[in-house]
Amino acid sequence: MLVPVFTLKLNQKINPRMVTIGHFDGVHPCLTCGTTAGKVFIHNPHSRSQRGGRIEIGADQDITLLNINQSVSAVNAGQLDPNKQNDVLVVGTQTNLLVYDVDNNSDLFYKDTPDGTNAILIGTLGTIENPMVVIGGNCSLQGYDMEGNDTFWTVTGDNVCSLALTDFDDDGYYELIVGSEDFDIRVFREDEIISEMTETETITSLCSMIDSKFGYGLANGTVGVYDRQTRLWRIKSKNHAVTIKAYDLNGDGVPELLTGWSNGKVDARSDRTGEVVFKDTFSQAVAGIVCGDYHMDGTDVLICCSIDGEVRGYKPATGEAKGTLMDTNIEQETVRDLSQRKQNLLLELRNYEENQKAAKLSRPSGMGELDQHQMGIIPANTQLQTSLSVNTGSEKEKPHVELAIATTNDTLIKAVLIFAEGIFDGETHVVHPTVNNLSNSIKIPIFPPKNVPIDLHIKAFVGYKTSSQFHVFELTRQLPRFSMYSLTTDNIPEPKSSVTFTINERINRVVLWINQNFLLQDDYATSGSLEVKFLSLRSTGSLIFRMESSGQVVLKMDDMDTAGDVIQALCLALNIEDLPSTADFPDDMEHLHEILVKVDEFNSARQRLTAEMADHSNLIRSLVVRAEDARLMGDMHNMRSGYMELYNLNRDLINGYKIRCNNHEELLSCLRTVNQMIQKAGRLRAGKYKTKVVNDCRAAIKNNNINTLFKIIKSGMA
Amino acid sequence: MMELNLSRVDYLQSGITSQKNMKLLPMGKKDQSNKSAYPTEDMELLDCDFAKAPNKAKSNKGTQNIAVGDHNGVVQVFGIKKGEPVSVFKTLPSQKIMRLELGGPSGGTKDRIFVSAGSVVKGFSKKGKQFLDFNTNLTEPIQAMFVEGPNLFLCGNYVYNHYADCQDKNYFLSADKINDVITLPVDKSDCITPVLACHDRVLRVLKDSELLYEVEVPGPPQVLCLYGNDGGEEGDEVLYGTTDGKVGLLQLSRTSPAHRWELLNDKRSGGVLSLDNYDITGDGVLDLLVGRDDGLVEVYGYDETDEPVLRYSHQCSESITSIQGGVVATPGYDEVVCCTYAGWILSLTTEPQHKSTGPGQEIQVDAMVYSKIQLLKNEIEELQKQVMTEREKYHITAQSDKAISAVPHFNINDKFLLNREDASYTLSLEVQMAIDNVLLQSDVPIDLLDVEKNSAVVSYSAINPEEGNFLLATYRCQANTTRLELKIRSIEGQYGTLQVYVTPRIEPKTCQLRQYKIKPLSLHQRTHTFDENRPYNILKLTGNFSMAEMHSWVSFCLPELPDRTPPGDSATFHFISTFLDTMLECTYRRGEAIFRSDNISTVSILKDVLTKEATKKQMRLDITYDINDYSVPHTLNLIHPKLEEQLLLAKKVQLIDGLKELQVHENDVNYLSPEYQQILADADKLKAEYKKQPCHLERLYGMITDLYIDKFKFKGQNVKSKVPTLLEVLDNYDLPNLIDFFESSA
Repeated sequence: MLVPVFTLKLNQKINPRMVTIGHFDGVHPCLTCGTTAGKVFIHNPHSRSQRGGRIEIGADQDITLLNINQSVSAVNAGQLDPNKQNDVLVVGTQTNLLVYDVDNNSDLFYKDTPDGTNAILIGTLGTIENPMVVIGGNCSLQGYDMEGNDTFWTVTGDNVCSLALTDFDDDGYYELIVGSEDFDIRVFREDEIISEMTETETITSLCSMIDSKFGYGLANGTVGVYDRQTRLWRIKSKNHAVTIKAYDLNGDGVPELLTGWSNGKVDARSDRTGEVVFKDTFSQAVAGIVCGDYHMDGTDVLICCSIDGEVRGYKPATGEAKGTLMDTNIEQETVRDLSQRKQNLLLELRNYEENQKAAKLSRPSGMGELDQHQMGIIPANTQLQTSLSVNTGSEKEKPHVELAIATTNDTLIKAVLIFAEGIFDGETHVVHPTVNNLSNSIKIPIFPPKNVPIDLHIKAFVGYKTSSQFHVFELTRQLPRFSMYSLTTDNIPEPKSSVTFTINERINRVVLWINQNFLLQDDYATSGSLEVKFLSLRSTGSLIFRMESSGQVVLKMDDMDTAGDVIQALCLALNIEDLPSTADFPDDMEHLHEILVKVDEFNSARQRLTAEMADHSNLIRSLVVRAEDARLMGDMHNMRSGYMELYNLNRDLINGYKIRCNNHEELLSCLRTVNQMIQKAGRLRAGKYKTKVVNDCRAAIKNNNINTLFKIIKSGMA
Repeated sequence: MMELNLSRVDYLQSGITSQKNMKLLPMGKKDQSNKSAYPTEDMELLDCDFAKAPNKAKSNKGTQNIAVGDHNGVVQVFGIKKGEPVSVFKTLPSQKIMRLELGGPSGGTKDRIFVSAGSVVKGFSKKGKQFLDFNTNLTEPIQAMFVEGPNLFLCGNYVYNHYADCQDKNYFLSADKINDVITLPVDKSDCITPVLACHDRVLRVLKDSELLYEVEVPGPPQVLCLYGNDGGEEGDEVLYGTTDGKVGLLQLSRTSPAHRWELLNDKRSGGVLSLDNYDITGDGVLDLLVGRDDGLVEVYGYDETDEPVLRYSHQCSESITSIQGGVVATPGYDEVVCCTYAGWILSLTTEPQHKSTGPGQEIQVDAMVYSKIQLLKNEIEELQKQVMTEREKYHITAQSDKAISAVPHFNINDKFLLNREDASYTLSLEVQMAIDNVLLQSDVPIDLLDVEKNSAVVSYSAINPEEGNFLLATYRCQANTTRLELKIRSIEGQYGTLQVYVTPRIEPKTCQLRQYKIKPLSLHQRTHTFDENRPYNILKLTGNFSMAEMHSWVSFCLPELPDRTPPGDSATFHFISTFLDTMLECTYRRGEAIFRSDNISTVSILKDVLTKEATKKQMRLDITYDINDYSVPHTLNLIHPKLEEQLLLAKKVQLIDGLKELQVHENDVNYLSPEYQQILADADKLKAEYKKQPCHLERLYGMITDLYIDKFKFKGQNVKSKVPTLLEVLDNYDLPNLIDFFESSA
């Protein structure tokens, strides 16, 4: 059993996920955490620090507080200057990024980050020479070197929530792993996406483990480990995983995945199996887990912090204790586990025995002493049939994918449970008809929100009306990626927009791909050129897929997102690495144009408001002086009028602030749309062409060259 | 105070056990390690080398054997040698065993084993010789049993029977279900005094066939135990444990009872299933051992004033159906032996598990465990093969047209109980196998609350009230979960059924449906004290109904009523609302029923439901009511302290974050008003309290709104349009204002 080597009560609130450790003087590790009221505190038990500048010394002598004066959104520390030993502190807020030298008490640089800062990472990415600060904001990733130069920029599908550096492809360089709100984990080799994994919820935390392994945590309480693209394991809890960290706690040379939970639990799990090797509990939610040589004795200790400032340090197990961290007696656990298995097997045997006994009792005239219905006895040849089809909807119902479940005889389906991730509000969807509506078949409408293949794990409870026990039929069906598109032969209006590209593949393979990825009643077959028409059930118009025998493909549809999905899925299925294309999306371009105009407006409004604010604060200063003067002179009348004015001005300021806030919100959402548009444009290409579009778009926006931007989106090059 | 350090050891697993199904046999007088006397059912355990190792040098003297009876009808007695269970005897499976008790001649050692199965009582000697097979010919199966000398005390659900030397002596019919029975020790007083624990929150003390008196206890009593195992100095002290987790000590003297102490269930642990007295701490005073249905084992010591103090607790994963202290494995080491619902016999022993006598010995211990594991593994492999062939057979039958698939019922140990503290229901489900998932469906609006100790992942499905689903939720359980606890909040006046489908992790997969009624007055609880001095509203029903009919309607509306129609011409029951502390009295007889409550909403709900039920049966009811105008201000006055407390708490909790921020900014917070400083000091406590009662304020508002609507409903006015105004008044809460609003607006 591992006991903490030290416990501290810092008496400071710690914001979740804002815990880091930095060697700010190059030697001593200091625990650094974001706390309430826009402050960051540094716990330095090693040496006394000075005061002044941003620093103020807290009540506790070991703690120094830094005033950031804005609510802090992310904190990290690390070595930015390769020639210096000391770490810098990086603090992100929703609008700014501060890189701060704690030892010298000075700002290194201060940047406006209109995309916000949700996650900060410090390290060397790919072949980029110097270490940099990578910040993840709204759909964007930005990297700064130690001088504040903008050395890296790219966009991603949605708001970035978590970042990690891992050597994903074992090439000796670090890749950037990005988790975002659209449930995707993307891997960037510098600015090129080399892999994408779709999860089931917002990816709130990521951490690199050993080799190409990395751990992840989701907003719905899932944690797990990936080795490259394969998920090794995952577990789900009803609590939220606040933070994860890789650390070798049991001393076996391989780091475990440590998770800090919202209910105060901390557990360490084996990276390969997810088996718990250690756990401890705090009285409050865990805020962060870091490791560092806090005792200055050469070994890194694991440091866990709770939100109310309790800090515990653990040393890894050594010597005999290796591998046995759990409190419980392993042998007893094994025995109990085995006995439980034995018991289960015995019970299963008993089930079969009783089943046979019941079969013997069964006579044509009836069941003898057994109440057939109550017991839930069903004919042994009962089968459950399922089918998936597209339902184009009616007046009452929206178009949907229909899952039909039926039994092969008079047995009734009491309830159906569908476990599937990402398509229902929760992880399950339950259909429970009323007693009067029970039948042997059920039709379940499904509305998949995204174009991803989904496994439906179906459990159907089968029995009779009066049964108290039901047979559970379990089976799994896969919903194809583009199940929300129904094949049509009607003459549908051609969509205005289109993407054109050429692939070197036989048409047959593409037909095969279509059969696998769309929900078709019969397999589609063709000779010669290919033309299929689909109607979207999400009412986003139609999709026309044409392919000439020359390999030229025209994809006509107005939904840029889905067009990207089709191209990405096709590239993946046909192993196409690089694919250029020309795209024509007049409506989207129009929209983008409007947004860019809006961005300009918001920016100028912001400047105007800032100027106004500065004016007001000057006025306030003079008013305060005037009113106080009046008070000292006993001129109550003037004092009162002075304060009344002050009051009015204050109100104006608050109103101005609210306007600024709204303005800022709008600006952010516009910028996000722009970033998403670039991302969408990128997804119409694959491989290096994709990267090129994203980079060129970025350059065009930087130079404010809107015409070039449109041209790039259209043709793929400037 | 010395810290109690106990480590858990598992002995073996029997079948499912009910309450009081395991006992420790008293220590034998002579060495009973005569191996040849043992039948050989479990001899395979002896086959391994270590168990065979010569053991004659060390006698078994000074250890106790364990007797257990299970639902498969097996009675077995075993001892522990070198950590291995060694069977003394084991009967063949027969009818489900409900109780196991020890008896013996008056004054002698109690080493005879009595078990009740169905309506039969069997007796075994400690060696396994059956000396008694007594068919009582009782119509219902025996639920509770106690043995005292030649006397047998047997209880069915409602009937108590006393047999002396198997001759019927006394008989008593209880008004509600009997959960347990004991008698005060005969050797300390010369007459027999049986005590029945009845579900309507009373202990009934009998004399012969007559009721001596009743004692009200704070919850439905579930288990009784003599204090100090002999009833204390006077031999009249009895410990009881209730389904809502309380434990208390009562002195039941000849004429009247006295409450000695009561342990409240602040931590909301599970209901008490088993009690025992044993000096596990080794301080010369018997400690109190408590086993609960949520798997919690607790040891209480006594302080100077003889009040119990918690000394130790251990959390198991299954309900503890029996608990007893003794010496089982190694002489000189006391242990607490527990038996769980799924039949695990485990021990919390004072013996250190990692022996430090020498390195050699430790290896041996490990090797023994290792061989045990190997043995189990082999057994499992064998079974797996068997299962595979059976499974195949089963699948082959699926091709035949005539075959049927019949999977036997599995046992679910379930409870659906009202918690007084926060006026919510706790549903606990326990199965012998690991639970895979649980589906909850309700046709009335109810809220599911989070239960901390439950690790299952809940998922709410989209619902469509038109299909009769107001709640569809699934709980996906973690591996090896055999017990699940859920918390449910109901709304009075909204009634229906909660259906629960439990699917265990076993092939062939089946699920079982359980139904729980959400009654119209679901938040009411039985009480035996009624305050006559409140202003009561009276609802009187007359019509051509029998008493049984009325009883069924009333028990349709209210929880905790016996299923059986109470004996006599008329019946009176009293209830208290767990949420508002308002009272309700139901008196009914053939053709007439009178309900009195100080809460107008209660009367309104009763009126609505009863009319509806009567209409269903096409019966004419004459309804008259007498509304007491003072009752509304009275109820509001009852609500007032709760509401005020909640408002204040909410206000304080709101301030905490701001104040904390100030605390960070300023080093010194002395300039703050004492009130604010107090809030800062109590911040954690306030937050915890706030968290404990989610939506409490909303519920109180809901009750007041109902009260308002119901008051005017009886006057024949619909005031729903005025509810927003009422909520406005509530937002600026002031009691006189609120009462004025109730009085004036019409």
